[in-house]
Amino acid sequence: MKGIVFNLLEEAVTDAHGADAWSDLIDAAGVSGIYTSLGSYPDEEVLALVQAASAALGIGTGDVLRWFGRTAMPLLSERYGSFFEGHPSARSFILSVNDIIHPEVRKLYSGAGCPHFHFEDNPDGRLLVGYRSPRQLCQLAHGFVEGASDHFGESAEIEHLLCMQDGHPLCRMAISWS
Amino acid sequence: MKHFELTAPSELEARVERLERQLNRERKARLEAEAIAEKGLRDLYESQQWLLLLQRITEGANESDDVRASVRLALREVCSQMGWDFGNAFLVDPVTGDAVPCDAWFAEQPDKLFAFLEASRQMRFPVGIGLPGRVLRDGVPHWIPDVRTDEGFLRRNIARDCGIISGCAFPILIKDEVVALLEFFSARTVVATDTLVGTMTQVGTQLGRVIERERSRQALLHDALHDSLTGLPNRVLLAERCDLATARLPQDKRGVAILVIDLDGFKTINDRYGHHTGDALIKEVAARLLSVVQTFQSECEAARSVWYGTVSRTGGDEFVVLLDGLADEDQISELSHRVHRTLEKPFFHEGQAILVAASIGVAQSSVDHDDINQLLRDADLAMYEAKSEGKGRTVEFSKGLGDAIRSRRQLELELREAIRDCQFELNYQPILDMQSQLEVKGYEALVRWNHPARGLLGPSEFIEVAEETGLIAFLGNWVLHEACDAIARLHAMGDAQARRFVSINVAPMQFLQRNFAAQVRRTLMSSGVDPRSLRLEVTEGVAIIDPVRTAEILAEVREWGVQTSLDDFGTGYSSLSYLQKLPFDSIKIDKSFVSALSEKRSQDIIKAILDLARSMNLSVVAEGIENDEQGQLLAGMGCQFAQGYLYGRPMPEAEAFVL
Repeated sequence: MKGIVFNLLEEAVTDAHGADAWSDLIDAAGVSGIYTSLGSYPDEEVLALVQAASAALGIGTGDVLRWFGRTAMPLLSERYGSFFEGHPSARSFILSVNDIIHPEVRKLYSGAGCPHFHFEDNPDGRLLVGYRSPRQLCQLAHGFVEGASDHFGESAEIEHLLCMQDGHPLCRMAISWS
Repeated sequence: MKHFELTAPSELEARVERLERQLNRERKARLEAEAIAEKGLRDLYESQQWLLLLQRITEGANESDDVRASVRLALREVCSQMGWDFGNAFLVDPVTGDAVPCDAWFAEQPDKLFAFLEASRQMRFPVGIGLPGRVLRDGVPHWIPDVRTDEGFLRRNIARDCGIISGCAFPILIKDEVVALLEFFSARTVVATDTLVGTMTQVGTQLGRVIERERSRQALLHDALHDSLTGLPNRVLLAERCDLATARLPQDKRGVAILVIDLDGFKTINDRYGHHTGDALIKEVAARLLSVVQTFQSECEAARSVWYGTVSRTGGDEFVVLLDGLADEDQISELSHRVHRTLEKPFFHEGQAILVAASIGVAQSSVDHDDINQLLRDADLAMYEAKSEGKGRTVEFSKGLGDAIRSRRQLELELREAIRDCQFELNYQPILDMQSQLEVKGYEALVRWNHPARGLLGPSEFIEVAEETGLIAFLGNWVLHEACDAIARLHAMGDAQARRFVSINVAPMQFLQRNFAAQVRRTLMSSGVDPRSLRLEVTEGVAIIDPVRTAEILAEVREWGVQTSLDDFGTGYSSLSYLQKLPFDSIKIDKSFVSALSEKRSQDIIKAILDLARSMNLSVVAEGIENDEQGQLLAGMGCQFAQGYLYGRPMPEAEAFVL
């Protein structure tokens, strides 16, 4: 996992719960806590942090990931405003993830593993997003979509059609905006 | 302690605050460091990518001499690098200066852009028009941030339908000349950065080099295949086009025609006005020929007769037109007609009006031709035939013409051998005095060719060819020598014989030779015969070619005592002024009048000739007398000398001289 994700998580937790909460989370998760956006760190550490937060807040990990994704989006737009420019809608922005954002990420960090999203138009007008992650971070993606929708002043309705957590070969969300 | 107690809580708080501030500073410093590092990494990555891009394009350009392949590679690399959707290349048409698509393009997903792609691959852009036209005009990159709102972007509607947002175009330069250009389009906004412009400039330089190499190669190739004076295809390229044309012929082999166009009298023009003028004339002729052929080709095409003409220059004043796909005889003769017409108009050079004409030989492909060279040769033969008919003529090759020319060629070959091997002999036909008991006064020497295969041949079978080929000069020289030697033998035979003369025929070409008179004199001297016993017969042809020279030569030989005779009088022009101006001793009435002597008209003519001769003090020989009646009539009219079968056929020396 890229260090930026840890940095964003730290920022989100600190903003919401204070600086101590992050330290507590690090202690509870038993992770190093030393993260820079320039580095990459084991996936397990982010999962451990999420689980610790889940335990501390008494909510599910999925909820934590969705909250994090949604909260992280304004922080991302602050840091990487150019990715958001020129997009008229959340849909347009999300569709650019594979082609623009991921290549940009790879420019910075050689060898960065980025998830690939498969986009498809559902006949009912909804955008289908297919995603394979053994780490089951589809809830994070869910949160990112919500956060992006917030950014463009839209409201997204997201349905998880398939999830690897439920034994499906991939995760698939159907998204509609209003 | 006091100090500790007093300061402990506040100091701790302060310390914590200080540490928090420090932590914040550290965090900010870290973020700033990260931002700086990220920027550095991004810049490094980007410049590496540009360098790699440039490297790949440069390598491609160096490895390939194929402009299109190099351009395609560049388009693909740039599109991939920039994430652009479509790249397209134009070459600049050297004639019109327009940007013309060169079928070098790249699109990651061509199907999505099909309509735009098709339009872009077909449109030509004049200077200043459309995106390519702007680059052509200014020689610098141009950007269209939003193609949907750019009024001057010609493909606006199609681009919009295909989802294209922005575009840019870059020149490919050789020095300051825009020789090609690349245009790119993207479904996203494209921003001009210094790196991008800088890299594209270098890409343009690399591709410019490929085009420059291609140009110099083309120039070399062009020079090798074209005539440097006129720019027309030369013999090599003509041969190539001929091969291509004949390879496509159907079973009946019809459909290719060749026109060999040879200027008449070009050498005279060159000699008279100089090579400078000659060259200018050739260039003008080339331009007119090209224009005539191209115009006619277009007209035929409009009338659904499609063929392709190649006008080539194959020699100093020789042009060959290949008509690929033309089998219509009317069209071919119309074209030759137009060629003659276009050359009829005077040429003007440095204030001089020069008239020129051409002889045209035409040949059409048929099953008789095994290869194109035979066709070219036929057209050549036809051209020579046209030339022999006079100026400005066209002759179409036919099998009969081919056979005639071939047998003439064969004859020429044999004639050369005959001269080398002395296969000739002279026969002598007596000339008698009708007013003096038919006394033999002399002989006309007639040459015979003792052909090794065909036996004895009369002059009618070979003199014409000898004249055409110039061999007559050699043959005539032999005749002169042989006749003089014969005169020496004749005069040695006795008193009667010693008074006889021998008359020989001299062809115009031999007569007008620069040293003819001197040759006659030398021959007379070496054989030791009396000049008065040699009579030279010429036709009025010599006087037509060069009357002044003819008069000089006649006068010169007569001064030594040689007699001169005008042969075949009454035919041709028979201009009385020749008779008056040229010094002859006698005239020979043409045998056609003698054979038609039963007609009053002929009798009248002969009477007039005899009267004329009498008044001019010329003796008259009537030849071709075959019967008594003719002899009686002529003698009755006062004709003095007679020659003909009635008195003796041409016969070998041994028979003739003993008469």
